[in-house]
Amino acid sequence: MRHFSIELEELNELLLRMGSLVESSIRRSVQSLVDRDKELAKAVMRDEPTINQMQVEVDARTTRVLALNQPVARDLRFLTATLKINTDLERMGDLAVNIAERAIDLINRPPIRPLEDIPRMASLVQNMLLKSLEAFVKVDADLAQTIFPADDEVDALRDKVYTDLVAFMQNDPASVPTAVDLIFVARNLERIADHSTNIAEDVIFLAKGVDFRRAVTPVHPV
Amino acid sequence: MRHFIEELEDLQGRLLEMGTLVESAIHNSVRALTERSEALAQQVLGNEDRINHLEIEIDDLAVRLLALQQPMAKDLRFLTAAIKINTDLERMGDLAVNIVERALALMNRPPVKPLIDIPQMARTAESMVRKSLDAFVKREPELARNVLLSDDTVDRLRDSIHTELISFMQEDPDAIPQALDLILVARHLERIADHATNIAEDTLFLVKGVDVRHHLERNY
Repeated sequence: MRHFSIELEELNELLLRMGSLVESSIRRSVQSLVDRDKELAKAVMRDEPTINQMQVEVDARTTRVLALNQPVARDLRFLTATLKINTDLERMGDLAVNIAERAIDLINRPPIRPLEDIPRMASLVQNMLLKSLEAFVKVDADLAQTIFPADDEVDALRDKVYTDLVAFMQNDPASVPTAVDLIFVARNLERIADHSTNIAEDVIFLAKGVDFRRAVTPVHPV
Repeated sequence: MRHFIEELEDLQGRLLEMGTLVESAIHNSVRALTERSEALAQQVLGNEDRINHLEIEIDDLAVRLLALQQPMAKDLRFLTAAIKINTDLERMGDLAVNIVERALALMNRPPVKPLIDIPQMARTAESMVRKSLDAFVKREPELARNVLLSDDTVDRLRDSIHTELISFMQEDPDAIPQALDLILVARHLERIADHATNIAEDTLFLVKGVDVRHHLERNY
């Protein structure tokens, strides 16, 4: 059997590779919408099985490491965080595919207005994902904290997209299918941001040994 | 410390308690919508804290058992399944709260149309949640497979609700905010069904030791 610390390092690398593929899926899904590039949207959909396969592999390896090494304390918290982050990353991949599917619908219809807020949301969301993963590998709670203001900004943009597009549809009922798709794209981006927030909360738990979800109550000593 | 088997039973009991709370949150959230009942909506909001608290308790217990008992094989699979199911249940509780938020927004506006498909979708989703937990507790793979099949029904209902409401909005632009709220409710229900599907898949993994997510099982 290989050394435990090598196993952990490999697991880290696998999770990071998955994270960068997910980040690229998010970027390309919104790019395909902005550029009206159907091929790019399809490329995102073709990458989904790879992300799914990585999720299954991360789960299988984490469970194996748990079983064979019987880790305690910090390593145990790292491994349980890995299980959670893995789930978050896979969901983000699904949401990027949803955006790509909407993009294909939208490309088939005439554009209704220039896209400004959605690309802005996308760049915030990609940055949140990269930062939350960096915070995870460095176990850096301060870095994890820095993504929360971006999450508020993403929420505000989602509300703005909604309000603007409802007004737009009411003036021009023919635009309803397009506007509804765009509202859903904004929602999917907001959900992706929420998953990065989950990762940041897991990092804070990992770094401090406290569950951030309930402020500062200590967990059972392990 | 208590015997390991008792601890595992305790963990399963708490997951079931959480499952019962989540099932009733889903049920009441849809009733709040169809009956325009603010009291039912408040009831769901009032139970959210209890669900969130249980999630943390279950997580702590599962992690403690992983650390202290160094379980192997089937017990290890049970504990990792418990951690995942816990997350799914908590997310379903959040989705029930999201439905309640839409229900409260809709109560402040005149009703736009009779609700038929959404209650039907809710019944299917609720039954999936119940069956998936039942399959988990009884370790019944057939019941779990049954849940996987219902997911397609829920997806079809969601699509037909979506199409219907899009044409509704075009005919009556004043009803656009209400129709968008209803489209969201359908999406929340679809997500609840997805989480029940996750629980069914985790159950199959637990019983068979094979990962059936993403339809990988045909490769084995």
